[in-house]
Order: sequence, then structure tokens, then C-alpha cells
Amino acid sequence: MKEDAKDLRDLILAHLDERLNDGDFGILQKRLEGDEEARRAYVELARLDASLREDGQGELPVAEVVTFPSSDARPRQRNRMLAAAAVIGLSVIATWAAFHGSAERASREELAQKEVGAPITRGVAVIAAEAGAAWDSDLEERRLGEGVTVPPGRLVLSKGLVQIDFFGGASISLSGPAEIELIGPDEAVLHRGRLRADVPPAARGFEIRAGEVMIEDLGTSFGLSVGEDENGDVVVFDGEIRAIGTDGKPISLFGGDSAQLRQGEAVPQPLAMAGEFPDIEEVFAGSGSRNDRQYQAWKEASEDLRRDPRLIAYYDFENLAPTSRRLRNRAMVEDASELDGGIVGARVAEGRWMGKTALDFRSEGDRVRFDIPGEWDAITLFAWVRIDALDRHLNSLFLTDYFDENEIHWQLSDTGHMHFACSPMGAVDIPEHNRRFFSEDFWNPSMSGQWMLLAVTAEKGIGKVAHYVNGRPLPISDGTQRHKPLETMRIGEADLGNWSDPIWDHSIRTLNGRIDEFAIFGAALSPEEIAKIYEVGRP
Amino acid sequence: MDHSHPEDSEEVFVQLFAVNERHLRAFVRSLGLGWNEVDDIVQTVSLVMWRKWHEFDPNSDFMRWARVIARFEVLKFRRKMARDRHVFREDLMELLAEAAEERDEGESSKLYRQALAHCLEHLPRNSRDLIGAAYQDDRTIRDLAEEVGQSATALYKALDRIRKKLHTCIEKRLRQDRREVLS
Repeated sequence: MKEDAKDLRDLILAHLDERLNDGDFGILQKRLEGDEEARRAYVELARLDASLREDGQGELPVAEVVTFPSSDARPRQRNRMLAAAAVIGLSVIATWAAFHGSAERASREELAQKEVGAPITRGVAVIAAEAGAAWDSDLEERRLGEGVTVPPGRLVLSKGLVQIDFFGGASISLSGPAEIELIGPDEAVLHRGRLRADVPPAARGFEIRAGEVMIEDLGTSFGLSVGEDENGDVVVFDGEIRAIGTDGKPISLFGGDSAQLRQGEAVPQPLAMAGEFPDIEEVFAGSGSRNDRQYQAWKEASEDLRRDPRLIAYYDFENLAPTSRRLRNRAMVEDASELDGGIVGARVAEGRWMGKTALDFRSEGDRVRFDIPGEWDAITLFAWVRIDALDRHLNSLFLTDYFDENEIHWQLSDTGHMHFACSPMGAVDIPEHNRRFFSEDFWNPSMSGQWMLLAVTAEKGIGKVAHYVNGRPLPISDGTQRHKPLETMRIGEADLGNWSDPIWDHSIRTLNGRIDEFAIFGAALSPEEIAKIYEVGRP
Repeated sequence: MDHSHPEDSEEVFVQLFAVNERHLRAFVRSLGLGWNEVDDIVQTVSLVMWRKWHEFDPNSDFMRWARVIARFEVLKFRRKMARDRHVFREDLMELLAEAAEERDEGESSKLYRQALAHCLEHLPRNSRDLIGAAYQDDRTIRDLAEEVGQSATALYKALDRIRKKLHTCIEKRLRQDRREVLS
């Protein structure tokens, strides 16, 4: 025992564990009294101990097999010892599991997932197009729409047409009212409604259930309808399908064949008995006119917005050409062009709607440069952003170059939180002065490629910062020095989608994604106003 | 400094205290007290802080204020308590408080947690599992040792080794982070 006690850190850990003997306690106390380094080690190890006990818990994985090599195991012996440890380990799990309720475990897993920003459920399909689609009201919460990845579950389409592309390669056009349950990337259940499925050779084996009948597609296109009574019809347009009823016997149907599905049985019928089925072309045609309508409505709202006297600058990203090097400030104020942005690197790309232009930010140089003088007691920033990935530790939305006194920073963390920061001391003594406001996390990689409205309002005073995503407030989850007041805020030289002059070495904060609208107000917009901006601008 | 607080003052206090509580507990723990004492003291500190909340200057740092009060309460507790054989002498507690304050001023608890998460992630699976088993519930190492049929000494040895490794890793990580305080 004395041997071990020679290491200061062993003494400290033993004291923290309350297992030190009297002699060693005396030795430790003397060493701590006489040695500043030793005291530093003590407080560090105490912090480690406290963190493991209290806040490390969410980060610790659930054990699968507990094994522990003994410290005096020599290399030659190690394998044998590990094997033995693995065996005794199993009993640890059993008791460990008994000690932990499943609820606690679930919350820990949730935490762990939050930590890495991983999606809670995996998508199995994506909504590729829609025309006049309306989803059942409580599903609206999930924001179904073009480009949205859909996890397994039930979708209720009250009207309109949608095209759903399964990750396995099959694609269906669904006409409302309809209820479909997505099971996996190659599997679904049609509870009611009509659909047309197109299954390329690579997706052969795609299965869709109607009532008690399973339809297996062997590379083809077919139509399927199911009524409220779970009975239905199937029509093969091309290729071959197999229908398997409750008797387990498959019936093969070929191009031009039709069958009725009654009480779990598929019975061939004349083609003329089956009804109409939606077509993918039709969905896209409808989708196009919807695109034009929404784009037009946004343009009108954007014309009104230009006249808002609270605007400092407004960029609609309209009519950009590959040669454009200037992002025009469209706010209706005198000398508006003074606040034009300079496009560096970022490429012109498609925006929220077909025909609307956006800028695509990707490589280290991509940015829009601004120089916006002035100072404001309140500020609102909003941008329509398509995040492709959060692959930097911090990802720029709008960053002032030097983060000097009262200059603002607006960015996203790799964990999917929105950050707003401002310090009256600028970059000097940052831990002490930087007021940082982190939103709850809102983004995970399953949302890659979706357009979202991001907004933040900040007012002079204590704690008056609010984050918004898609028109809704997002609570503050963390930050630093939030109890200290914000002062009058400034911008000056700044980048959209990048950081020109990192105060920290090697900081690259390029955004990976697109922006197609950006506004800066010298006032705090109300939650209602932000909700309205979302409503008129949502794609 | 006396001044009027807005009506949501109570909420602000509760929020600030909640955010800083773990940090505060780590601070009290750093003065060499066992967990039962830490629990008692942190509870007293929260009451004292709430009683004096009207004196708190919103322009100052909440955690710093919490540490001042906690330090005072720990010493008060030290003087009152019987000469427990393994509680440090008062002057050493003062020195440890200074070291802990210096440490806390040095970097944010958030950076520390990030560093810890990173280092835990880089531990071999077996080590991580042992830390999990030892820290994630109320069982003592002795109970755990009994369950796995190893001696408590062997388990402590393994735990000590892993914790020292974590300590070294975190120190290294924080040195890197200090050059890149985020804003």
C-alpha cells in the first residue's frame, strides 16, 4: 500500500473516495499545504470526480460488457485475464441493468443522441414533389413538404397529390384523401386512398400491403386503391407483380391485368373495373404551378418588406447571374447601395423556388462582404438558409470581422444550436465578458438540404435575446455571461456565410449551404412579425 | 449594491442557480469535503444566496458571488464540526479554495465538460464501462467488487489508472482550447 501512495494523484483520488488511511492522510495534507502544484492537482481531480458523478452521466455510454484489466497484469497474462474479466463482466451487466430503470436509460440515450446531434429516427423516404397537398392537421407540426425526409410512420394526406420516393428506389404518387404507413425503405401499407407505384429494376421486391393482401413488385408500375372497408383494386400497367392473400398463395399479375382485393384475397377482374390512378407527371405539373404561385406571393411580400422603415439593410438575392459580384441592398432608403454586399467565391444556385436565385457557400473562400456602420439598441437578423451540413465546430451565418466592442456574432454550432454573441469588451478577456446565447438544438443531419427561416432578435439590457426557427421561438439553452447586459450593438465589417478575420488561429467557419434572403433591422421584430415572414416565405 | 429587481427576479435567481449548481458543487468538493457534506453546504449556500439576492449586482458574475458565499459557509462548517479525522485544516481549505477559484476563472465549465466528453470518448471501451459502473449509480466500489468477484483494491487500482489518464487528457485538451475561446 505504501508503494502506491507515493504517487500524489493516487493519494488525492483515495482521499476523494474516502478510503485513505490515517498515515497517508497526514502525508497528503502536508504535501498540499506546502505545494501549489499539488493543490492544483487536487482541485482538478476533485472537479473530474464531481463531473463524472454529476454531469458526466449523460455522456457515459450504457455498458455492454464490463471488463477491467488488472493493473499488475503482465502482457503475457493479459489475454487470459481479459477473458476472465469478460466472463465476470456479464454479471455486472445483469445487476447494473436491474439497478437502472428503462426510463432512466431512455433519457440517457436521448441525451447521448442530443450530444452527437444524430437524428432520433432514420428517414425511409423523401417527399419529392407535391401539388395542392394538405396534410392532416396534427401532422402539419412535422412540417411535411417538398424535400422533407420522412421517418417510418403514418402519413395522412387530406387532399392533393404527392410523390414519395422511397430510399430503396421505388417511387409512389399518392392522391388524397389517403393514409399510408411507411414501414421501411422498401415497404409500406396503404390504409386508404389511391396510389401509383413505379419500381425500377434496382428496387425490385418493393412491398406494399393493402388490407390483408401483400403486393410484391417485381420491377414494374402498378396502381392500387383501398377504400374505407380495406377492400381495393390493383392494376398492373407494366411488368409483373405478385399478390399474396391470407391463404399464402401468390397470384402473378402482368401488364394489363387487374385484381380486386376482398377479405384478404386477390381475385382477377376485368381491367375496366378498376378506377383512375394518379400519375407522377401530374404531380410534377401541379407542383410547378404551386411553385409559381408561392414564389409570386413571396415577391409581393418582399416588395412590402423593402419599405419597412426599421430596415438597416435587406438582400432579396433576386436575379443573380454567375457574373454578379454585388449583392444589392434592396431596402428603400437613401444611399441604399452603400450597404451592397460584395460576393466572393459563393456561386449562384437555385433558391427556395424554381427560378429564384440563391448563393451557395461551400469552400473556405466563399462569402459576402459587408461594411455596415452605425449602432443600434436593438437588432433583428433573419435569413432563409439551406443548411447542407454543420461540418465546422462553428458555422457562420453572419460574423463581424474583429468582434470588437459590441460587435455581433451569429452562427451555428456543429451540435445544431444557434449562437448569438456580443461583448462590450470585444475580444479582450472574452471568458469574463462575452455574452453568448445558445438556442436549444434544432438541426440534425436528417434536415440537410431543407430551407429554413433562421432569425434572432437582440435588445440592449439583460437577457433580451430570442432565437427563432421557421417562425417559432426557440428557447435559450445555454451560454455565458447571460446575466450581464447587452449594450448598443454594432456591425461594421462583416461576412455572411464566413469569417474573414478570425481572432483565433485556424478558425474556419465557412457555412456549408445556401442563403436566398437576408435582412437586418435596427429594431426587435415581434414574434408575430417573424411568424408572418415565415408564412409568406416558406417554400 | 442595493437596487430594485424586476418582478421576474425570483425566476432569474432560480435559473441562474440551476445553471451553476453543478459547478458550485464541484467547487465545494474541491475543498476536500465528502459528498454528504457537499450536499448540506450547497443547500445552505442556496438559502443564503436567496436571502441576499437583493444585494446581487447584475453586472457582476453570479458564480463568483456563489463561490464567495460557499467559501464562507465551508469555513463556518469546518469550525463547527468535530475534528473529523480526514477533513483538511482550515488554512489548507482556504488555499484549496484559492486554487479552485483560479481554476474556475481559467475556463468555462462548458469547455471543461466538452473536454471531458472528448476524453471519455477516447478511452478504451473497457475503461469507459468501468467508469460508468463506478459512477453511474449509488453503489460503492465495494458493492461492485463483490458483484464481480474482484477485490475492491483491484477495482480501485483500475479506476485510479483510468481517472489519471482522463485527468492528463483533459489538461491537454484544455490547453488547446485556451487558445481558442469561442465567440
